[in-house]
Amino acid sequence: MIKFHPSSQQLKEFVEGSLTPAVSLLVSAHCDMCEQCQLRVESETEELAAELVSEIEESFDESAQFGDMLSQITQSPSSIEVDGSSSSYASNLGERTVSIELDGRSFKLPRTLHRYVDKTGNWSSLVGKLWQAPVDLGNQGVANFIFMGSGGSVPEHTHRGTEYTLVIDGEFSDGLSDYDTGDFIFMDGNKTHTPRSDTKEGCLVFSIVDQPLHFTSGLARLLNPFSHLFFR
Amino acid sequence: MLVGIPLEQSNSTIKPKECATEMSEHLVAVADARCKRSFSRVFNYFAPRLRSYALKQMGNEALAMELVQDTMSNVWQKAHLFNAEKGSPSTWIFTIARNIRFDMLRKLQNRKEDVCSDDLWPVLCEQTADLNEAPLDEQVTLEQIGYLFEELPVKQKAVIEAIYIDGKSQQEVANELSIPLGTVKSRTRLALQRLKGMLNDND
Repeated sequence: MIKFHPSSQQLKEFVEGSLTPAVSLLVSAHCDMCEQCQLRVESETEELAAELVSEIEESFDESAQFGDMLSQITQSPSSIEVDGSSSSYASNLGERTVSIELDGRSFKLPRTLHRYVDKTGNWSSLVGKLWQAPVDLGNQGVANFIFMGSGGSVPEHTHRGTEYTLVIDGEFSDGLSDYDTGDFIFMDGNKTHTPRSDTKEGCLVFSIVDQPLHFTSGLARLLNPFSHLFFR
Repeated sequence: MLVGIPLEQSNSTIKPKECATEMSEHLVAVADARCKRSFSRVFNYFAPRLRSYALKQMGNEALAMELVQDTMSNVWQKAHLFNAEKGSPSTWIFTIARNIRFDMLRKLQNRKEDVCSDDLWPVLCEQTADLNEAPLDEQVTLEQIGYLFEELPVKQKAVIEAIYIDGKSQQEVANELSIPLGTVKSRTRLALQRLKGMLNDND
């Protein structure tokens, strides 16, 4: 069951379109998996739309401002006429990969992330039973799919910036809480954690960090000068 | 409070519900019959409101008008995607405007095709973006680091191991190895430089 959701403020900013694109991606993917947040987004959208309707300036000469615009717009054809049909999206969707593969297993992704399957690089092995595949978000940086095999864990670390994680499939714990499929997790410099998955199936997460992780113990400290190279 | 003075704004006398019903019907007429009269009713109602919203968001008259034009063009061209059962006309039009604004701001910030509004809010999901971008194959793995680490000269390796793995301070390492602190520092620096160099060669 999903226990961890974006905050009300994050959902509101998501609907406004003022949340950063990378974080919006995670909120949107969470909403694909979480009916409760879908409903909250819908009602937030209605509220903002109602504000739009109530917004109007007092002194405003409509004809002067919009005279040409209306006739220009109505000269253009409907998108149905342009595309031939409205089914272009449906056929595109059919061809689109909606899951990612690792080690013979296939993981179905939330709708928001479908477009990013093609932007996902190869899986590479980190420590032990940990696998990572980078997702190119253009100038927004890099996100990662991280798979924790059964018993696999990310070395204990804290964050200089922020880390957002969405559980795509499976369960994991980090010494602070237990997380399940669909959970939306936000971490910052105040928290040190050691994510690990102990279930048989392991756990796939999608994660965005804006600053390199800072490893706090053991062998992994060797990674700190280079952590920007992988845990980005 | 003054009594008996009628409200002046004609628009504000329309109740929201009635207005939503009326606008829905107009949108359906645009979708089914390309009805220009219906569209002009929708336009006249929403364009000034969108302009107000856009001015607040973009803070610039030209950009605001561009946002209005793009939004209303989409309404005209894609009226068939409006579904009254899913929400009111104002909600639909607001989401279109919000999406266009999101993509406009990304363009203004010179971001290339990264996250687009269709990923987040697929309200006009006919527009699909091109998906062709080369995957990132080159990735440094932890194993590679371990491997490169083994290649370091013995003295540098000992210092790096003591500092980064055992968590000792540089002074402690200096005491243990009976070498000056400056030497520990320079060995650390050299080792890290070397590792970085090896990583770059690997790319």
